[in-house]
Amino acid sequence: MPSNLNAFDIISFSPGFDLSGLFEENDRKKEVRFTSRQPASTIISKLRDIAKRLKLKIDKKDGGLLKMEGLKEGRKGVLSIDAEIFEVTPNFHLVEVKKSSGDTLEFQKIMKQDMRPALKDIVWTWQGEQQQQEQQDLQPSHVPQLQVVSPPQDS
Amino acid sequence: MFALMGCFCLKKPIRKPGYEEPIILASETPFTVNEVEALYVLFKKLSSSVIDDGFIHKEEFQLALFEDSNKQNLFADRVFDLFDVKHNGVIEFGEFVRSLSVFHPNAPEADKIAFAFRLYDLRHTGYIERDELKEMVLALLSEIDLTVTDDVVESIVDKTIMEADSKGDGMIDQEEWREFVARKPSLIKNMTLPYLKWVLIFVLAISICLVHNFHARSFYGLNS
Repeated sequence: MPSNLNAFDIISFSPGFDLSGLFEENDRKKEVRFTSRQPASTIISKLRDIAKRLKLKIDKKDGGLLKMEGLKEGRKGVLSIDAEIFEVTPNFHLVEVKKSSGDTLEFQKIMKQDMRPALKDIVWTWQGEQQQQEQQDLQPSHVPQLQVVSPPQDS
Repeated sequence: MFALMGCFCLKKPIRKPGYEEPIILASETPFTVNEVEALYVLFKKLSSSVIDDGFIHKEEFQLALFEDSNKQNLFADRVFDLFDVKHNGVIEFGEFVRSLSVFHPNAPEADKIAFAFRLYDLRHTGYIERDELKEMVLALLSEIDLTVTDDVVESIVDKTIMEADSKGDGMIDQEEWREFVARKPSLIKNMTLPYLKWVLIFVLAISICLVHNFHARSFYGLNS
């Protein structure tokens, strides 16, 4: 099942801690993160559906990691994408989708054109964006918000 | 390799304060003499990127990590602070090599654990306190631009403190941290840079390109 994220795991996502930047140019757009209020099983089956539709070979590893691999060679070899699900609380998950091999531009194109639209109904927020839509199970206004969120929009 | 050695012998550079001889640094870290020399090539590149004075300034550190010399970042600040052992506002060559050595795959785990603790102990109190932990989580979420409600942040912090705080005083001390890491080794995964095993090849490759370029230019009479 998905690995449990504690505060230190979350903090370790910071590029400020990633000293590999001293040795190489960092092309940060090799990964995308989103949050979801769906249970892990729903997220996994959604990712599997998408992978099937995109004709990617799926390999489920332990600990909430899903490896997806393209079937034909692109500009820089076969594109491989890892999707890793982290449990923050039982009703709140962080998902990291990153390129593990292949062409970064191809990865970004697949994310933008295929994955993002397909993931829409399980995503609560995308990294870099305010909350886009209210989910049905979101608790009412007694929950204090960290950032100002826009009112619910029609999808 | 020989061309690189030749380059080092040709002229006697004026050494800046904080420079330590590679042979000394190699004897006190997991690096070999050649690797320390390679790190010197990297250090020279980093330390001349904004202010060419032989020291790594905060802006140069930020430029290297974020490609933006003005990018403010809590965690980079913490790392810089720990690398700047003498607290004179810059990272000198000796400090650079010694601090980086903790990140070497062969460095003692106890050193990595201690370094990580000092990184997270924002106010140097000897404890990682609840509010420090919350501050770091909030800083990270803001940094990666992820919206999360306060109740979720609180529950993450609570859960983490509970996991680590065996003495029940609401804070994490060094002993509790060591035990926590023993249970969850991934807590210090950022403390190892596999790059450091290949720094020689990495930096050497750049140097060979530079030397090659120099010789090629000489051949064509382009170096006057």
